[in-house]
Amino acid sequence: MRVPLSWLRDYVDVQLAPEQLAERLTLLGMEVRTVEAWGAGWEGVVVGQLLAVERHPRADRLSLTRVDVGSGEPLEIVCGATNIAAGQRVPVALPGAVLPGNRRIERTEKMGVVSNGMLCSGDELDLTGDADGILILPVEARIGAPLAELYGDTVLDVDVKPNRGDALCMIGLAREVSAVTGAPVRFPATDPPESTDRIEDHLQVEVEEPVLCPRFVGRWVSGVQIGPAPERIQRRLIAAGQRPVSNVVDVSNYVMLELGKPIHTFDAAAVRGGRIIVRLARAGERLETLDHVIRELEPETLLIADPSGPLGIAGVMGGATSEISDATTGVIVESAIFDPVSIRRTAFRYALRSEASLRFEKGQEHRLARLGADRTARLIAEWAGGRVATGVVDTNPTEPAPARLAFRPARVNRLLGVELPTAEQRDLLARVGVPTDVAPAGTRIAVSSEPMPLEVEAGGAETLIATIPSWRRDLAIEADVAEEVVRVRGYDVVPAILPHTPMPHYRHSPLRLRHMVRETLAGAGLTEAVTFALVSPTLVERFGPSDDPPVPGEGEAGGRPVTVTNPLSSQHSVMRQSLLGSLLEVVSTNLRQDRLDVAIFEIGKGYGATDEDDSTHEWWRLAFALTGAAEIPAWNRPPRPYDLDDAKGVIELLARRLGLPGPNYVALTDDPRLHPGRAARVTAGDGLAGRVGSLHPGLLDDLELRAADVVVAELAIAGLSGGQPSSPRSVTPSRHPAVDRDLAVIVADSRPAAEVEATIRRHGGPLLRSVVLFDIYRGRPLGDREKSLAFRLAFQAEDRTLTENDLDGAIEAVTRGLAADVGGHLRT
Amino acid sequence: MDLADLTRELETLRADALAAIAGAPDSATLEALELDVLGKKGRLTTVLRGIGALPPDDRPKVGAVANAVRGAIESALAERGAEVRSTELAARLAAEAVDVTTPGRPVRRGTLHPSIEAMREIAEIFEQFGFVTYESPEIEDDRTNFQMLNIPPDHPARDLWDTLYVDVEGKLLRTHTSPGQIRVMQAERPPIRALLPGRCFRYEAVDASHASEFFQVEGLMIDEGTTMADLKGLLDQFAKAMFGADKRTRFRPGYYPFTEPSVAFDVECLVCGGSGCPACGRSGWMTILGAGMVHPVVLQYGGLDPERYQGFAFGMGPERIKMLKHGITDLRLFLENDLRFLEQFR
Repeated sequence: MRVPLSWLRDYVDVQLAPEQLAERLTLLGMEVRTVEAWGAGWEGVVVGQLLAVERHPRADRLSLTRVDVGSGEPLEIVCGATNIAAGQRVPVALPGAVLPGNRRIERTEKMGVVSNGMLCSGDELDLTGDADGILILPVEARIGAPLAELYGDTVLDVDVKPNRGDALCMIGLAREVSAVTGAPVRFPATDPPESTDRIEDHLQVEVEEPVLCPRFVGRWVSGVQIGPAPERIQRRLIAAGQRPVSNVVDVSNYVMLELGKPIHTFDAAAVRGGRIIVRLARAGERLETLDHVIRELEPETLLIADPSGPLGIAGVMGGATSEISDATTGVIVESAIFDPVSIRRTAFRYALRSEASLRFEKGQEHRLARLGADRTARLIAEWAGGRVATGVVDTNPTEPAPARLAFRPARVNRLLGVELPTAEQRDLLARVGVPTDVAPAGTRIAVSSEPMPLEVEAGGAETLIATIPSWRRDLAIEADVAEEVVRVRGYDVVPAILPHTPMPHYRHSPLRLRHMVRETLAGAGLTEAVTFALVSPTLVERFGPSDDPPVPGEGEAGGRPVTVTNPLSSQHSVMRQSLLGSLLEVVSTNLRQDRLDVAIFEIGKGYGATDEDDSTHEWWRLAFALTGAAEIPAWNRPPRPYDLDDAKGVIELLARRLGLPGPNYVALTDDPRLHPGRAARVTAGDGLAGRVGSLHPGLLDDLELRAADVVVAELAIAGLSGGQPSSPRSVTPSRHPAVDRDLAVIVADSRPAAEVEATIRRHGGPLLRSVVLFDIYRGRPLGDREKSLAFRLAFQAEDRTLTENDLDGAIEAVTRGLAADVGGHLRT
Repeated sequence: MDLADLTRELETLRADALAAIAGAPDSATLEALELDVLGKKGRLTTVLRGIGALPPDDRPKVGAVANAVRGAIESALAERGAEVRSTELAARLAAEAVDVTTPGRPVRRGTLHPSIEAMREIAEIFEQFGFVTYESPEIEDDRTNFQMLNIPPDHPARDLWDTLYVDVEGKLLRTHTSPGQIRVMQAERPPIRALLPGRCFRYEAVDASHASEFFQVEGLMIDEGTTMADLKGLLDQFAKAMFGADKRTRFRPGYYPFTEPSVAFDVECLVCGGSGCPACGRSGWMTILGAGMVHPVVLQYGGLDPERYQGFAFGMGPERIKMLKHGITDLRLFLENDLRFLEQFR
């Protein structure tokens, strides 16, 4: 809310400097976002006096003026406006001045005459709404003075929180200033001068929906003359962020900003029979609203209508037919209270949220309906010269009794961790208009509010009862009182202590394993990325959930994609089901910046929905992508590109770090995203499952990735979602030496090495400790479809040094097994 | 051959050998010489074969001479050997010298994302005070995200969270980590000291300080006597741990429907130190998080009696913490994954 200080001062004295006031209001909970010097946009604009106004020698529509700006020679300035005459004081933008909107004024030639600046309209200065005529300044304005001296102001931009609708106005903020300074609040006079007309003769109001419209106060003003509001008022409205429209319309905006009461005014001539009906819309009804949009009205919409049809959407926007126009002479003032929820829903339904609907949504003080109607009528009479009919139409004049709220000062202290004496608490509350009394015995305390209300017996505790001012709808429970006390006292009263209450039980961090994986991968050269969970529909289609084997404790990928119904853009409209697409986008981003080697990973979630029970589920995955140079190029090392083996190496490293068995790979030929000859399903015991492979060259093209090869993997890992890493059993190393044997196994070229290795392990006997593939050979003297796999086998016993005989038996068994299981034989 | 002949031959051998040793250029030559003179089939052995032809009385005399000759040659070999090896070592060292000023062979090291690291740093600080970590779903129900946090449907406070809704009945993308408060309260009995880090979503046009996806860390502490003073003490410790022990902090009033009273927690401007500058809007303070005493409605939805239990909650943005700490000026960098940005971290 924009608050011109000059306006605020109508209601409360302010001695503090603007910055001090801002600080104090902020510490009271009315956060001042900015302190703006209003008029800073008028640099180089001074008060001038017109000495002469003559016709321009060459242009009928222009005048040539001579202006005294208080600095020696009068200036010759060409002007196109017609409302000026010698003797007037006017704002003069001197050459070099910069007007609002960054408009620079220079010495220019206009039809052969040099113009030494510009005379300004109110609109050009953002001071009034008048763009046609030059702004005429009061005669007492000092010639040569900067305009800011005359009309400058300070505007505070206050962030009023949603619970404090009462403070969305000058009076509300004046009350807060009063809480700070103790200066009294001056409520403006509201009584209008009443004529002999009686309102009963002009206006009837029927409320068909008293729940949605608990109070409607109407006033009737005749004989108004539509024109601009007083300039002082226009200046205030503009500084507060409202465009001046006309005197009558400006009154309603002025009263809204002054009292926080949205007001609507109707052209009385457009209200048939002077009858206003507050009712719900009927099927098929339409209304042209003030913004000249014809709207189909939905039946839940509360309307202001006359017997012939809708006049406006209650509390949200008026209709075009009853709009105040230049021809208006009679005005009906509507100052009503509407159900906050209904207004909010309606404003959202028609996408018509306004300053008025914002205030209605937060709830309105009952008495404001009458005060607002009166104040509006009074100002219309003052600014537009109308006659106010005697009396009001008021559908609910009974003021509700003020709310009473019991509280225990000791409980206030217990919540805050302070020891404020009862008397001080009462003083603090009194400063925000909350008087307190000693509560009668048996008073119950409201500890909690709707929708979980809870009242307790005060018991023996000292109890006070606060009378809540009608505008403070936010004070409902004991904790609210604690907040009032501490915000008025200042939070510096709360000491900073360390807790001395009992500790909770130990709990493993669910992030521990994730952090282990992150550290391991960073150490292996991969950088962590964090990408959007919301992606494009195309990406979700291309990168669906993988059907990898389940990992115990980890969610399975699947379900239908979850789609956002109100997305910001289609690029971020569907919850992803795989991390791979996101990572490839990161690869692409970096490739486009000529960053050709990219090694990244992300630990993130996939999301899916099950329609049968409207459930959703989320699963954690690790994904990584590698492309470009596998090692940072150096002068003494030839470049080597990342390939599938690097990706597998990373997985093997992870398996070691997490205490999982060495990974197994099985060829994966049917994942359309991956190269059918360079992809594998990978599992490591039951602790890791996923897939790894080079990206399919076709996809590489589709994604326009400027890379020869991108290797990716997506893995489910036990513990990623919150489990703990296992602790390995330790084995004492044998004191007896291990003996190595190298075997070159000739098998068909199509035979996977992993099968050969598994065969060796299966037949190697109890002494076989390790099998490592160290060479693959194809070519002469082997056959065309053969290869030789060289393995180093290590044998070891716990209790003795092995003999050649021990090994011979084992090798013999392996040899037989290879022949039988994989059709292999040893190369000799 | 008589004694004199043999003696003369031995002397000749000594003279020849010593000359050859002195002139030997390298250790290979010396080794060859040693073999040639002193080896099993060497010249000394050959000469001494003649000893058998001498009278027995002369044999010890020749033996003595022969030993002297051997000794002289051996010590000459050792001496020259040391010289030659030392020269050779020097030559080798010279030959092996490299330009030690060239850069090392780089070992690739990845970096960890600042958002996730911030959450870890935050957790490390609060873990010292007994806080334990929980997680809760990102696709939440409206009830837990709003209603149980004292934000009824159609409540104006909903404006504080522009929400992304999904095509599953009653569900939305959580707008904050606060629904985790409800889940922790329902799962645990006090004393509760919980941290809830995670990803959040808002219907928010993206600019330098707004994101549609971001992270939050929620804190929750509940017991019979947990007060706002505890909150202030812990947050003060947190700010000092995160930004420096000399940093002043303050509470000022805030507003959240799920806390009462609510506060904003400010730390003195990290740029100007509190004197006021453009970075802090000339206030001298930077807001780092929002907090407050858990609202009784929320406690009850969590299954706790608000007359018995009380406590506080806070919520902070790890990205904001990182931005303040590292002088990052644009929130968008966190999800763009430009390696030039990410690699500045560790």
